[in-house]
Amino acid sequence: MLKVLFPTIMLLPLTWLCPQKKLWSLTLLYSLMISFLSLLWLKMPLQTNWTHLNLYMATDHLSTPLLVLTCWLLPLMIIASQNHMSQEPINRQRTFILLLTSLQIFLILAFSATEMIMFYVMFEATLIPTLFIITRWGNQTERLNAGTYFLFYTLAGSLPLLVALLLLQNSVGTLSLLTLQFTNPLPLSSYADKIWWTGCLLAFLVKMPLYGTHLWLPKAHVEAPIAGSMILAAVLLKLGGYGMMRIMLMLEPLTKELSYPFIILALWGVIMTSSICLRQTDLKSLIAYSSVSHMGLVAAAILIQTPWSFTGALILMIAHGLTSSALFCLANTNYERTHSRTMVLARGLQMVLPIMTTWWFLASLANLALPPLPNLMGEIMIVTSLFNWSPWTLLLTGLGMLITAGYSLYMFLMTQRGPIPNHIISLNPTHTREHLLITLHLIPLLLLILKPELIWGWTA
Amino acid sequence: MWPRLFAKVRSPRGSLPCSRGTPGRCGRLTAQQNLSTGGPLRNDFFKELEQHLAGMRKKAAGALTGSSWGSLRGNPDLPPKRADVVIVGGGVMGWSIAYWLKQKEMVQGGLQIVVVERDLTYSKASTVLSAGGIRQQFSLPENIHLSLASADFIRNINEHLGVLGEDPVDLQFNHSGYLFLASEKAAHIMEQNYNTQRQAGAKVALLSPSQLKEKFPWVNTEDVALASHGLENEGWFDPWTLLNAFRRKAISMGVIQCCGEVTDFKYTINVMMTADGERLDVRRINHVKVQMPNSLEYQPVECALVVNAAGAFSGKLAEMLGIGLGSKGSIAGVPFPVEPRKRYVYVVHCPDGPGLDTPFLVDFSGVYFRREGLGGNYITGVSPEEGEEPDTGNLEVDHQFFEDKIWPRLAHRVPAFEKLKVASGWAGFYDYNTLDQNAIIGTHPLIGNMYFASGFSGHGLQHSPAAGRAVAELIVDGNFKTLDLRRLGFNRVLMEEPVLEKNIV
Repeated sequence: MLKVLFPTIMLLPLTWLCPQKKLWSLTLLYSLMISFLSLLWLKMPLQTNWTHLNLYMATDHLSTPLLVLTCWLLPLMIIASQNHMSQEPINRQRTFILLLTSLQIFLILAFSATEMIMFYVMFEATLIPTLFIITRWGNQTERLNAGTYFLFYTLAGSLPLLVALLLLQNSVGTLSLLTLQFTNPLPLSSYADKIWWTGCLLAFLVKMPLYGTHLWLPKAHVEAPIAGSMILAAVLLKLGGYGMMRIMLMLEPLTKELSYPFIILALWGVIMTSSICLRQTDLKSLIAYSSVSHMGLVAAAILIQTPWSFTGALILMIAHGLTSSALFCLANTNYERTHSRTMVLARGLQMVLPIMTTWWFLASLANLALPPLPNLMGEIMIVTSLFNWSPWTLLLTGLGMLITAGYSLYMFLMTQRGPIPNHIISLNPTHTREHLLITLHLIPLLLLILKPELIWGWTA
Repeated sequence: MWPRLFAKVRSPRGSLPCSRGTPGRCGRLTAQQNLSTGGPLRNDFFKELEQHLAGMRKKAAGALTGSSWGSLRGNPDLPPKRADVVIVGGGVMGWSIAYWLKQKEMVQGGLQIVVVERDLTYSKASTVLSAGGIRQQFSLPENIHLSLASADFIRNINEHLGVLGEDPVDLQFNHSGYLFLASEKAAHIMEQNYNTQRQAGAKVALLSPSQLKEKFPWVNTEDVALASHGLENEGWFDPWTLLNAFRRKAISMGVIQCCGEVTDFKYTINVMMTADGERLDVRRINHVKVQMPNSLEYQPVECALVVNAAGAFSGKLAEMLGIGLGSKGSIAGVPFPVEPRKRYVYVVHCPDGPGLDTPFLVDFSGVYFRREGLGGNYITGVSPEEGEEPDTGNLEVDHQFFEDKIWPRLAHRVPAFEKLKVASGWAGFYDYNTLDQNAIIGTHPLIGNMYFASGFSGHGLQHSPAAGRAVAELIVDGNFKTLDLRRLGFNRVLMEEPVLEKNIV
């Protein structure tokens, strides 16, 4: 545990003190080394749930894939930001990497927390670096609005969580995840207990996001710089899913009835947001709405609490993290060349940048859940477990998958195929750095086809 | 601005400050008092709603204590920091392109467009100083098609440019047609043009001298061999109204107008080698530097595309990107062939002149005139000879030019004009294409993301709706769709193959 945490903490002084010429290469190599170290966590013996256990932190089948994803993402963010940050003064560059690293630290602590209060504090702490990244390095004036939405939606959802956790501590006596699973089920019968149930879940539902509370996400994703979009889409949304999976233990038996509206909202959100994707003109906005759509499936799966649905949710979280981050990186390569996110102005790119088309193709196929990619594994398990829970959900999930295929192909065809406009004839050829960035996203996704047990959670 | 003028007069509260006995306020109020006699008879609440709300907001802002955020907001007149398309030049061509781009974006809010115009009074702009004619009598089929499409547009202008809740557009389109006169030696050219025009769909009629005398008895047909009269879709209209109609509609669709001057571009250069080993610097515009009027403050607008609709000054704009500054013989050494040429227009008053059905008459010597209004006024002018081009440094009018070049020929052609008085005159610029006096529409090989739409050489106003649509098709669809204007691209300048228009007024 500490073998990954301490190097990440020591990355902070490195960022501040290293010579200017070597800043990006040093931080990149260092964070790559940390991510390789984090792969050691993948050895998870099935018998003991918790491994790498110490007083405050531990990893188990649920948190390990998310931790590895978090550690993997830092070098990718550094590669992605290198180009647009090169124009900035050196101190701002250092501050930027500092913010990314501190975000990484908080995320590692959040995912490996064994105590719910620590998880809560780290959950809130991740808001601060993200807010800085969005509002300071975003591109347009709307970023202030986006930052406000992001901060206040999440805060408003999570303050009830604090109260709920403290109440839980009072009644059960502990908030340690290791022992919470062994407590007696709580006598949850009064009306106040229903509010407590909602308070526990609301923060995570806003974070996921659930369809009704998703307004912060398109703004935050679109206005953030590329590194901000990557970490938001890949990991921060999954914090909500992870938190929900952890807290669901304690929420029985109310979940049987109270979860209905949220499952409906989540599934309806899948269809609504995928339909919105078909009408988007802004490429990043399209990818942001597709994130909401996929997370709707994850939210519904977590709320029905079956082993298969949890497995499906976890697989989809990991696969979506990699795919969404890859799509944002691809959109950024477009943006850096044409300075516009409007899809209608950058079309027919297959003629100009053919290898980039291959990456667009793979990422779009991953987004529409093509077998044998883990995206499909997750979606199939979620759809099947939801079908088992109620056959009627098949209408919603099936339609959602159909529209997902529709907008993924629409995005691919709109950007890559068709006649090239006259103003894109001479573009910078793709840098090796950009090829590296996308392949580092897609190769883990492809390798996971071969060993999906790593991200299956507790299901053997 | 206009509704507010009317509103101020009708509001009963206008008289109260006077009675408070503060002479200063009273004096200011009378200065604001509107002298117009044609105001609306009733207060239209909904039309004035915008003004009321803006007034209320201002009052609220004034009542609350000053906020320290106010100074941090910066100058509100600056253009946005980024836009998808920056259109340089807010004349009729620029606004037409803005309107058509918004029309063709597939989803609302799809394209962010900023139109940069340095002089919102349009004191030097070619659009408002134009004679306002529209004709299909060209020799180049592309020009005929452009005029036909534009005539169709302005005949149905309220379908296209009508804004809900605002007054309909009235272009005052006089359908009187153009009348071209040809001498003996040019009659065969007129016949050829007539055939081209009929084939393209223009409704033109050829008249012999006797038919001409019958139709328009006030014409002196002495040395006229042939005349060509446009029967439909030809005439003149009010250019200022068309400009404002385009502007109003485009702004209602979300285009942002910025008053400023483009002084520079920030671009990246890609060095490429041609097959012959010649080195080419291909530039790609990243930012457009827009400088505020009368100020050193500027805003770099990050953009994906720039459209050069700067009219007479588009050559100067192209020079900022190095077009024409390369070595002779290279592609970069070919300058953008558009330069301003000054043309005079004189308003004359002749009470005994030709009547209401006077067409826009163009004599074979180049002198033209048309009726203006209903009070016996006409506007007239001529294009100077090649060697006698007036100085383009200012827009001063040379009245001696009228006496020497215009009046004799005008009086010869229309005897009634021997007795006339020059009421006034003005001068405007043609965005003159020195190569072949035809438009240049398209991209330049050395600049990745700039589209040109200038060089119309005196027929820009009449082509503006169709040319705007053509440029919008180039940008959004990638190719011309309704009218094929590929012959009007920049390639003919590089190849030095002029596409000549024989019928330039």
